[in-house]
Amino acid sequence: MLKIALVGCGKAGENHAREISMLPDATLVAVCDVEPLMAEQFAARFGVKGHYAEFLQMLSRERPDVVHIATPPQSHVPLAMAALNAGCHVVIEKPLALNHRAAEALVRHALRLQRKLTIAHSYHFDPICRLMREMLDDGVIGEPVHVESFMGYALDGNFGLPVFTDAGHWVHGLPGKLAHNVIDHLLNKVTEFLPDDRPHISAHAWQRDLRGGDAFAMPDEMRIMLKGARVSAYATFSAHARPVSHYLTVFGTRNTLHLDFVAGTLTRRSTPSLPGVFGRLSCGFDQARKHAQSATSNVGRFVRGEYDQMSGLRYLFARFYECIRESTNPPIPYADILRVSALVDEVFAQCPAQRRQTA
Amino acid sequence: MITLVTGATGRLGHAVLECLLDSGTRGIRCLVRPGIARTQLHALQEKHGKGSIEIVHGNLTQRRDVARAVHGVDRVIHLAASMRGAPADMFLNTVVGSKNLFDAVNRSQVRRIVVASTLSVYELHDTSPRQLIDESATLERHPEWRDAYTHTKVVQEQLLHRAPLRESLSCVVLRPGPLYGSATPVLPARLGLQLSGCLLQLGATAALPLTHLANCADAIRFAAFDDRIASGAYNVVDDELPTANEFLARYRATVNRIPTLRLPLAATLMLARLNERSHKRWGAQVPQILTSYRVRNLWRGHQYATDRLKSAGWSQPLATRDALNTAFSAWRT
Repeated sequence: MLKIALVGCGKAGENHAREISMLPDATLVAVCDVEPLMAEQFAARFGVKGHYAEFLQMLSRERPDVVHIATPPQSHVPLAMAALNAGCHVVIEKPLALNHRAAEALVRHALRLQRKLTIAHSYHFDPICRLMREMLDDGVIGEPVHVESFMGYALDGNFGLPVFTDAGHWVHGLPGKLAHNVIDHLLNKVTEFLPDDRPHISAHAWQRDLRGGDAFAMPDEMRIMLKGARVSAYATFSAHARPVSHYLTVFGTRNTLHLDFVAGTLTRRSTPSLPGVFGRLSCGFDQARKHAQSATSNVGRFVRGEYDQMSGLRYLFARFYECIRESTNPPIPYADILRVSALVDEVFAQCPAQRRQTA
Repeated sequence: MITLVTGATGRLGHAVLECLLDSGTRGIRCLVRPGIARTQLHALQEKHGKGSIEIVHGNLTQRRDVARAVHGVDRVIHLAASMRGAPADMFLNTVVGSKNLFDAVNRSQVRRIVVASTLSVYELHDTSPRQLIDESATLERHPEWRDAYTHTKVVQEQLLHRAPLRESLSCVVLRPGPLYGSATPVLPARLGLQLSGCLLQLGATAALPLTHLANCADAIRFAAFDDRIASGAYNVVDDELPTANEFLARYRATVNRIPTLRLPLAATLMLARLNERSHKRWGAQVPQILTSYRVRNLWRGHQYATDRLKSAGWSQPLATRDALNTAFSAWRT
């Protein structure tokens, strides 16, 4: 049984604790937060024995095998370094670090100490993403041509509202502010298809709605175009498009796959097999059939307990713990983690959040 | 003499400000989070004069903001609380925010602090519904088994009990029932659960322990300014309240004929156990809305004593019949 400790008793920490509690071979032994009351309530709600306000004290007393870091990104690197130095493996919330150089240093440190590290790219292991990879391996789409990654955001939702009512919220201290906190989810789905080290990037960001006054000036819309040698991609972050969507579309030389992360459906779009108007007529029925198939398989996922939005996180944790026990490679290659951080640096170099832009 | 009000942009906050201003109180300072709509505050300033309310921008989670807000204050009325959202945010805003406020108040010249809590803080799962619940009843020992709001309120009260407060500081906790009387129609959670436009009426059909906003606001004004009130906790519930069935019948007749399924206590407990098992089996996919523990605490028809507040000299300014008439006629329009 692996002993797990968690630092950061906020919303992201809740997701980690919930998914850890569903894994049979790991137990959350302690939680830590700089605010003792947050750690105390968190421990009470999740039935965790130890709660701390001092991170190093938690490490020395509990001696965990794995430390989950779910604090604001500004503290990821120092906490991860301390955990690695204490001999722990680490799971870090996204973004890994505030910039690529710090992310590289962290990965190097983990390699030097022969400890393992991963990042909470939860959607990367969502059931529909795993199914997509099986279909890619089977050649269902042919060769990827273009990828579209879209992520919507609710400014008045659980994550958005605290940002716009607290000028001291940690999101305001990120180089890319609001978009910086979600851009990993947008780009990690794209890098899988763009193996290029330095794809051409064109990024644009602006603020559509100046809510809360100048204290909260930050981009809430972002468009990124990426072009590699063989594959191109669009990545869109939108806080205003409704309904709040979250999808990935992979256009291939044979077929196209559409992954809807809100509904949890994966559908394939194909060229109609019937000619002319009959082909057009059949398209709607064909799509309806594929949606029905995907929805039916979701019922199976629900029964197996794999249909909640964070089931990808659980899968990632399970694979990460497995790689620790079996001394294999982590589920997300370090090169992939670093390619995302390099892209993030480039995006925010092109559209810094400090400079307020208008559409 | 300055009175600091937190949570002034909420519905209770607005009622308290109206009550204070109508009773001639001046020197009111409101700590308001940036980014929160202040239309109602500005309307009160228009009505009572620009200087009637001083608005200080800040967040209770930031100690510096709190210290600035408390500076020079004589009384504090602490109403700010998160009613919804992620549990972590509710804790941050309600519990950590309260801790920062209590610390700042303790270090300042504040003479009295009034904290709005809730009737839900009592642990009643094994208390007979026939027993009248007064302020000596046990505070919930397992708030983590209740909903996040109740959890935050219990911890908020525990902070007050634990903190070594200075002797010159008078500390009053008011525990109102579910509030009604705002412009928007609200079906109290003690009546049951609303799911997709339907009502699942739960548990006992005894009198609902409701508190009209105007009565609660007046109790808060009294607690903040009347010298007859001593430190401690006080229940605030309206007199001669309607039963759950009477309230619902009137609501359906005047506001909307919400489809209703009534579940007696035994059936409610069975449903709660089913919810618990489903949650255990399917995890976060099936949220734990009902638990036997919550049902036994909330939906068995407990009644609450208000003798302590009344014996201190407070009386309900708006009779329940008039309060209900006002509320329902507003909801009808």
